[in-house]
Amino acid sequence: MARIELSGVSHRYGNDEWAIRDVNVVWEDGVASALLGPSGSGKTTVLDIISGLLRPTEGRVLVDGRDVTGLNARERNVAQVFQFPVMYETLNVFDNLAFPLRNQRMPEAEVRQRVEATAELMGLTDLLRRNAHRLGAAEQQRVSLARGIVRKDISAVLLDEPLTVIDPQAKWHLRRQLKALHERTGITMIYVTHDQHEALTFADQVTVMNLGAVVQTGTPTELHERPRRPFIGYFIGSPGMNLLEAEVGEDGVRVGPLTVAYEPGVAKRLAGEEALQLGIRPEYVEASSRPLEGGTEAMVEDVDTTGHSLIVHARMGEAPLKVTMDEAATVASGDSLWIRFPAEHVNLYAAGERIEVNA
Amino acid sequence: MKLELRDAVKRFRTATALDGLTLEVQDDVDMVAIVAPTGSGKTTLLRVLAGLDGLDSGSLKVRGEDVTGVHVQKRNVSMVYQKFVNYPSLRVFDNIASPLQVARPRIAKAEIERRVHAIAEKLGIDMYLRRYPQELSGGQRQRVALARALVKEVDLVLLDEPLGNLDYKLREALRSDLKELSRERDALFVYATPEPIDALMMASHVAVLSEGRVVQYGRTREVHAVPQHAEVGRRFSEPPMNLLACRVEDGHVSAGDAFRFRLADAPSDGAFLLGIYPHHLRILEDGPPKPGSVRIEARLEFAEVVGSDVTLRLAYEEHTVLALSDKIRSYHLDETVKVDVDPNDVYLFDARSGDLVRASVRGRDARG
Repeated sequence: MARIELSGVSHRYGNDEWAIRDVNVVWEDGVASALLGPSGSGKTTVLDIISGLLRPTEGRVLVDGRDVTGLNARERNVAQVFQFPVMYETLNVFDNLAFPLRNQRMPEAEVRQRVEATAELMGLTDLLRRNAHRLGAAEQQRVSLARGIVRKDISAVLLDEPLTVIDPQAKWHLRRQLKALHERTGITMIYVTHDQHEALTFADQVTVMNLGAVVQTGTPTELHERPRRPFIGYFIGSPGMNLLEAEVGEDGVRVGPLTVAYEPGVAKRLAGEEALQLGIRPEYVEASSRPLEGGTEAMVEDVDTTGHSLIVHARMGEAPLKVTMDEAATVASGDSLWIRFPAEHVNLYAAGERIEVNA
Repeated sequence: MKLELRDAVKRFRTATALDGLTLEVQDDVDMVAIVAPTGSGKTTLLRVLAGLDGLDSGSLKVRGEDVTGVHVQKRNVSMVYQKFVNYPSLRVFDNIASPLQVARPRIAKAEIERRVHAIAEKLGIDMYLRRYPQELSGGQRQRVALARALVKEVDLVLLDEPLGNLDYKLREALRSDLKELSRERDALFVYATPEPIDALMMASHVAVLSEGRVVQYGRTREVHAVPQHAEVGRRFSEPPMNLLACRVEDGHVSAGDAFRFRLADAPSDGAFLLGIYPHHLRILEDGPPKPGSVRIEARLEFAEVVGSDVTLRLAYEEHTVLALSDKIRSYHLDETVKVDVDPNDVYLFDARSGDLVRASVRGRDARG
């Protein structure tokens, strides 16, 4: 088990442009974490650098404070699970799990004990005598994972889109197993995915990447409530965060006819900022058919339903605004709706970067 | 575009795909969603509507005209599939223009240009017209396929899970585009999908299919508010409606030892299915239950973030239920979760037939 740190890591393949640029992330010992980003964001490059498959052009990889940048994959004791199950199809499950141990010349009695303990952990006990090629995709992926963690000296498990080939019905079960494995072993796990839902479901700490750079590292709650860039506010949550042009007034931040009140000090601090934007999630917009003090009126243009809530498409002055309302709300196209933004749920961005004003 | 399909039967060697399916869609409907799990006849239904497959018996009328035996080339339809079907050797422009280029009588070149640009602009792909499909992302390619389907004025636009391969942010964007397009066009959009959320967000009307028949057809919100059959509750909700075996005795409903409550308008004693939508299992982090609500304490089997919500899989006694929470936080396996249910929110279905016996109070209001 280990604390992993990337310090000033940049990489380019040959003479190409930088694939990742100045990546600094710490994974504390025992964290369940995710590396999230669209394809091409550099997350697989980061993973390969942690595992030792790739030596970074610049920067250092530290495991428990020790510089391992120069070590290759085999010397790092990092287990890796890929999109597609990796195993010996002609061997049974027991021999698949035993393979890495026998390679280390572990005594057979100890091999048996480790294999059985790992099988127990992954719910594979009943399948140990089964031939690997006779297993379903979800079972095979569990065997791959078990093979990764069967060795004693594993410092971390890296998972690269591990649910890609699993059918949707079986997914939740494997997800629970991954989570249970983490809770029981406390091993450092880094889960790479492009899927927001998988990342937020698995991880206690999510690192978001875009265009080769780390954009934010935080808990699912932090990413949802305080996204550091508008991109994250849009990318996480459904519908994404509303993003509106804003300007600084004397008593607060103004968005068209609406003012979000802040202490005078805040206004002063924001005065010089350019390209100010206000972000608020649709579920945090306060809405009522009756006048709201400090609010403004918006026009309802369309109403969608998700079955459990209503998504109201409104227009506030010129700006389009999405508002999530209770399924019981009576609201229809053409209605006027009173709108208010609670300051504690408002995020402010200057030139695309979040500014902290509530602290 | 009025559509009438009556007693449609379509058998294949090993299976009956359509088993006396009747569907009548009125002229003023912009989009009807066909909600059905994979393999329950929805693709066959679309192929029948397109004229790609004939019927063993039954009839099909479009705009009041019988087109039952009419070949696909004589029908005025276009179709979009889940797989992005484009001509790889043609530029995006020619992919979109192809239905116009083969049209008879001929359409003037300038007119083709005008229409292709108009629809490409509408779908936000006008900057890619000189490119080849393989140079585009999945979402852009599906927009090209949609543009090709919409470049010609047709009676029916048939969509077979067109958003199935797209990630959820692209789905969000394309859903609102499709909804808008269906309102602007004269054509009837028929949108087949296993995903209730697509139907709920886009279509004014929905037909829920099961085993080659329509189980329920109606306005989208009414079908959701008053599912006439337990199967509709399960199919037409994401997450699916919870359906728990329960007993009604002397005005009380019981689904397990700890989950028992009085129901003002309970049916006479017997066995039923208790239907509860996941969002009606209200998760309270603290505090006492709401007056009139019944509380159960359940064990968390798994919590999954979906959009801005969390789906909780909860176990109590021998039951498993799904609940929906709007609180995004870290959850621990096996933690205890308190759930409140308002008896006004529950549905009862006949245990044997699955037919609706009692709708939720709000459901009854929604129906008017």
